[in-house]
Amino acid sequence: MTVSDPVIRLENIYTAYEGADRPTLADISLSIGKGEFVVIGGPNGAGKTTLLETINGMLPITHGTAVVCGQNVRGDGVHVRCRVGYLLQNFTFDPLTPFTVEEVVLMGRFGMIGLFRKPGREDYEAVEKALQLLGIQNIATRPIGQLSGGQQQKVLLAQNLARNPEVLLLDEPFSNLDMFARESINALLAQLVGSGITVVIVSHAFDDLPDRPVRVVVMHDGKISLDRECHPAEVGQVIRNAGSVPRDA
Amino acid sequence: MPGVYLGMLEFLIGNTIICHAVEAMLFASIACAILGVIITQVQISSIGFTMAHAAFAGAAVGMFLSVNATVTAIIAGVLVAFLIGPLSDKARVSPDTALGLLFGISMAVAIFFIAYMQTLGRGFSAMGLLFGDVISLYSEEITYLALISVVAVVFVVVLYKEITGIIFNRRIAESVGIRVKPVYYAMLFVIALVVALCLPIIGGLLIYVWLVTPAAIALQFCYRLSSMFVVAPVVAATISVSGALAGLEYSLPVAPLTAVLFSIVFIGAVFLSPKRRVTIRKS
Ligand SMILES: Nc1ncnc2c1ncn2[C@@H]1O[C@H](COP(=O)(O)OP(=O)(O)O)[C@@H](O)[C@H]1O
Ligand SMILES: [Mg+2]
Repeated sequence: MTVSDPVIRLENIYTAYEGADRPTLADISLSIGKGEFVVIGGPNGAGKTTLLETINGMLPITHGTAVVCGQNVRGDGVHVRCRVGYLLQNFTFDPLTPFTVEEVVLMGRFGMIGLFRKPGREDYEAVEKALQLLGIQNIATRPIGQLSGGQQQKVLLAQNLARNPEVLLLDEPFSNLDMFARESINALLAQLVGSGITVVIVSHAFDDLPDRPVRVVVMHDGKISLDRECHPAEVGQVIRNAGSVPRDA
Repeated sequence: MPGVYLGMLEFLIGNTIICHAVEAMLFASIACAILGVIITQVQISSIGFTMAHAAFAGAAVGMFLSVNATVTAIIAGVLVAFLIGPLSDKARVSPDTALGLLFGISMAVAIFFIAYMQTLGRGFSAMGLLFGDVISLYSEEITYLALISVVAVVFVVVLYKEITGIIFNRRIAESVGIRVKPVYYAMLFVIALVVALCLPIIGGLLIYVWLVTPAAIALQFCYRLSSMFVVAPVVAATISVSGALAGLEYSLPVAPLTAVLFSIVFIGAVFLSPKRRVTIRKS
């Protein structure tokens, strides 16, 4: 699909893990516009996580052009990451982790605050707002390690929202969440997309998607095998149909 | 800088030797304890361990060649920190194995030169390198130690955001836009500096006690990182100064005595820890 003024623009991207003999992503091109809601599907090992970390510059791009939020990802990914939220897959914390919820959420702004500067009032206000958005003000002073998996997931999402990202990348955010938490997060995502934030989500759960057109991108073996827009109720069907070609055991 | 000596505690302690020993232990313990919190919380204990022993080997080589042993210790410590990554890539071994190899090589080099110096009749200074020596300190060495403890404090204060991010999780720190790599390597560099400067006082065999034990003691009582950065150096300074005073009073080897004190306090702290009580009640 072509987009006129993309926030994410990848052209012929190759990404390789350190020490790997062949690139994990090969010749990927993808343009995503402002305010789009993108669901990425595909089997385990297809390269979905790799794609997200290519977009925010955490993995080395060996070839191709990547421009995100107007910044060249290959030049200095740090600037991209200050404007892009990324919720990592599968995270749980040890009960003795010495960080409270509000400390973790504030950390979301450490990159944009920059070296040698201290957080200011603006930063604490953003933390407060992010805690409110996720409805977790009541646990702000609790150690993160003593929360449930779902609560920890919400804290990490709040951490990403605290820096008012233009793009939000979410890697299987629902894996630890119960039905109610999933509904509330989906409502929040709909609200974020409505306010112009671009959301790219890797997920296998397609109920309660925001009620708006969804862009579906399906990956197989490091390549994009399908890229089309559809109605939120059809997403599961579209991804399943695309998956019927090559499928992992 | 010969002759530049700040003379911080001389008004309290009349005897110059005792005064120097107490000051040396005070500054060394503060610097080591602060970095120890980083080492244990970032979970790079094996890197710290290997760097400490490489610095020890570097000092032994420097002493053998009659060049500045502190400089060779810093070089060896930094070299090892930067070798771990490439070595595990090139030799196709895990970082853990690479550290084991470097540790073994360091110890071999250190012991070879120390043993050789003993046969040459230069055993006295070599023994100091092994077990530490607080008696024969120059006043400029005290000044350097004071400076390095200030460097350790300033390092943590100035890069507090980045350090806490890396302690929380290195990948999450990277994802929020923290420049993880430079800060991480700065951390290793400061560790190498501190280890090299503290070696002559504490000794290569014991320095690790100063790096890890204060943080481990603080961990028994602290729920927050910020309090750990305060409790660890305070505990370390108290134990080290007591060890120095007691050792000199009763003519016992200061660094080994203090190391034993550290271990006793650690065991006591484990039993007194409120965290431990909670886990017992749960099960
Ligand atoms: N750290 C890594 N080092 C080397 N290869 C990796 C690493 N992480 C993932 N891979 C490989 O990259 C491919 C894509 O992985 P990933 O992007 O995690 O898949 P997905 O998120 O779609 O399940 C897989 O074949 C996997 O083996
Ligand atoms: Mg994945």
